[in-house]
Amino acid sequence: MHEISKETESQESVKENTKKDLLDIIKGMKIELSTVNVQTTKPSSTRQLKSVEATINRLQKAPGDAPKKRTKSLSPELVAAASAIADFLPFDKQTTKSELLRQLQQHEEVSKAQKNGGRAKISVSNIISDMKVAKSATIRASTRPVHQIQFDEGSDDYMSQKTSDVKKSLRKNMLKGKRLNIFDLKAVTEETSETETTPSLWDIEFAKQLAAVNEQPLQNGFAEMIQWTKDGKLWEFPINNEAGFDDEGSEFHEHIFLDIHLKDFPKQGPIRHFMELVTCGLSKNPYLSVKQKIEHIEWFRNYFNEKQDILKENGIEFN
Amino acid sequence: MESRLFLLAKKSGENAAKFIINLHPKYFQKDIAEPHIPCLMPEYFEPQIEDISEAALKERIKLKKVKASVDMFDQLLQAGTTVSLETSNSLLDLLCYYGDREPSTDNHFQQSEKSEELEEDTGENDKKSKADDQFGVTWRAKNNAERIFALIPEKNSYSYCTMIRGMVKHRALVQALNLYAELLNNRLQADVYTFNALIEATALNMNEKSEDKWNNILELLKQMAAQKVKPNLQTFNNILKCLRRFHAFGRLPGLQTFREMKAIGIEPSLATYHHVIQLFYHHENPSKGSSRIIYDIMNEITGQKFTPKDPDDDMFFQSAMRVCSFLRDLELAYQVHGLLNTGDNWKFIGPDHRRNFYYSKFFSLLCLMEQIDVTLKWYKDLVPSVFFPRSQTLIDLLQALDVANRLEVIPQIWKDSKEYGHTFRSDLKEEILMLMARDQHPPELQVAFADCAADIKSTYESQDARKTAPDWPANSLNCIAVLFLRAGRTQEAWKMLGLFRKHNKIPGNKLLNEFMDSAKASNSPAQAIEVVKLAGAFSLPICEALTQRVMADFAISQEQKEALGNLTSPTSDSDSDSDSDISEGI
Repeated sequence: MHEISKETESQESVKENTKKDLLDIIKGMKIELSTVNVQTTKPSSTRQLKSVEATINRLQKAPGDAPKKRTKSLSPELVAAASAIADFLPFDKQTTKSELLRQLQQHEEVSKAQKNGGRAKISVSNIISDMKVAKSATIRASTRPVHQIQFDEGSDDYMSQKTSDVKKSLRKNMLKGKRLNIFDLKAVTEETSETETTPSLWDIEFAKQLAAVNEQPLQNGFAEMIQWTKDGKLWEFPINNEAGFDDEGSEFHEHIFLDIHLKDFPKQGPIRHFMELVTCGLSKNPYLSVKQKIEHIEWFRNYFNEKQDILKENGIEFN
Repeated sequence: MESRLFLLAKKSGENAAKFIINLHPKYFQKDIAEPHIPCLMPEYFEPQIEDISEAALKERIKLKKVKASVDMFDQLLQAGTTVSLETSNSLLDLLCYYGDREPSTDNHFQQSEKSEELEEDTGENDKKSKADDQFGVTWRAKNNAERIFALIPEKNSYSYCTMIRGMVKHRALVQALNLYAELLNNRLQADVYTFNALIEATALNMNEKSEDKWNNILELLKQMAAQKVKPNLQTFNNILKCLRRFHAFGRLPGLQTFREMKAIGIEPSLATYHHVIQLFYHHENPSKGSSRIIYDIMNEITGQKFTPKDPDDDMFFQSAMRVCSFLRDLELAYQVHGLLNTGDNWKFIGPDHRRNFYYSKFFSLLCLMEQIDVTLKWYKDLVPSVFFPRSQTLIDLLQALDVANRLEVIPQIWKDSKEYGHTFRSDLKEEILMLMARDQHPPELQVAFADCAADIKSTYESQDARKTAPDWPANSLNCIAVLFLRAGRTQEAWKMLGLFRKHNKIPGNKLLNEFMDSAKASNSPAQAIEVVKLAGAFSLPICEALTQRVMADFAISQEQKEALGNLTSPTSDSDSDSDSDISEGI
């Protein structure tokens, strides 16, 4: 019922009080809120309409008392609140109202039965949580009978099993209930020092199996192109002229401004001229790496060092 | 679906080319691509390092050459060099993973190796899980792994672990458990993967009862916690998978396991939910009342986007749809389908057969439960672009059309069926014919039906041409003849009568009456006599009634009357002039 009220609240806030009344009344009743929570009734708003519909379906088949008897034992506030809700929901108002009242009546009966220590362990939350989602009546008129039979079987089934404990524990929400209690949350989430090891054969093969789980044939040409790009067969866009070529991280200025490497050479004279021409040529060379260019200059340095005696003869200084 | 065939053909061509390139790498050395494309160059599968050294051993291990690695290892030991523990461990890895066999080299060419879930009607037997199961124990006693294991001087826990994992993988379960005991005796600690393997070993052990096995598994888990080994997703998935073998007993432990998993913060994967579904819906026994757990599951995971975390993740959708179909719950099926279409979840539909199973079940459920217009819309969407329907699925669709009184769609369905390869499926054709012929219909529809019937007839004929013993079902003959009659194609209808004789099938009473009506309508006593002759030839009891009718309704000559009189006697078998009579008539 929470969901219904939440939805209608969004529609008109004026009548909020009425709904609050209804909520309070329901809460006030002795309802066994078992460990079955209302989590399963969290679904989106579209479902809420349907869940009302589902309730209507279920209750139509429930062993019914005469309608008159029902409304009598409910408090007038409840009745007023129910009719207010029925006004807002886009279904047939009479039906909605009577169904809501019937549901509330059931709550009354339940709480009374439990007061008397009865065996009916139906809890409201259980009923809500077990509601199936049904499409609205207008669309599927033709196949309605079959579906209702399904609800029938479901509800009968449910009622007949309530005494069995094992089955009851299974019908509880799968998230709530006893666990093994072997592992401790804190111990498990502790950050243990993981040593970095290379993946073993087991890990690699497991990763391959995992990748195969999601493998689907390519759906279209774009998927094919994506796959080829991943394989390296297709260039990445936007086209990068230097894709795959790093040049060992050297920058353009290291290629061009090679005067730095000439500091060991004499500052005047033919050697300097020559070396400046060399660096000029090297700076325009796009094919050598920086290292290779430096090596080139190095070679010249060694060469001139070896030929010191010839240079001295000609009066050229080099040191 | 041709696109699938095309893609498969492309892929197999690629594989063949790769195979050839790798077989003769020296012819494929030219590399003009800039930047370099590694995947187009030949791969090297032969070890390059030839001397006896640890590097050579490592290379062979990397290339997954089992025998060569073992030989290299032995040679190293003989030469007196010690092999590092890490290398020994990786050698053990290789041996344990492949069970001391060479890895199969033609992995590319295999289709799905995983064993598949059987469909519900054949029932699920216990031999599910990995394909290894079906091959029994594949761990040879005293194989190289054990030998080398014994040779390693200082085994660390990793050595034990990989041995245990290998033994479990190859189903040497008792040995695995013994080795684990030895590991504990040596005060070493197993890692989470080993524990996962041990859990599997405990569950597969044939000789114990379910309760004992479960207690053993709990023991193992407690040891895990005591040794501060963190469980992972595989741990819990393995437990759930093993619990499936315990059938009804496994349900409560299964739920407890699931809650434990959530409690310590491990997010379940699709495989987890798949195992839970299998646990609860394994033996379908409606009288006991089905579990409602599927609703809890769907409520839990609706809208969630999954990534692959377990190799069994792609089995979820198939089992979920199977349950929806069993419960006959269309809303739930829509919910499951919605989950499939969330994010990238569609990739979890699995290989072809699983996809077909899922969609077959979904579509059959739609035919059963959904309004016909919506069903037809789904039909247009799904078939054939998503899956090829089986003949049973089409029959379900036809029955849905029947229920909704939309029989006029039938010729279209027949046309489609031919596209899907059901041209020669007799059960489908019989169903179509039967539905068309059952009732009278307005004339245009009758014409359409007759065209369809003629088409089906031609398929029967072409089928005949291929087989030596022609085999037309009696129903089909009846229906086709009736449909021809009703559409006013009387000549063809009369030809059908001849076919009855040829295929030795008995025409139905209703059919003969209709022929009689038609003969009356065309005011041809000869035709009427033909009908009677046919009935007489088959010694049908209706022959008498037909004769009476002919006498009463038609103006026939004396000799014809005598001929009729002869016919009513049981030994009559004159039928020679049937063809000439037909041509005489209109």
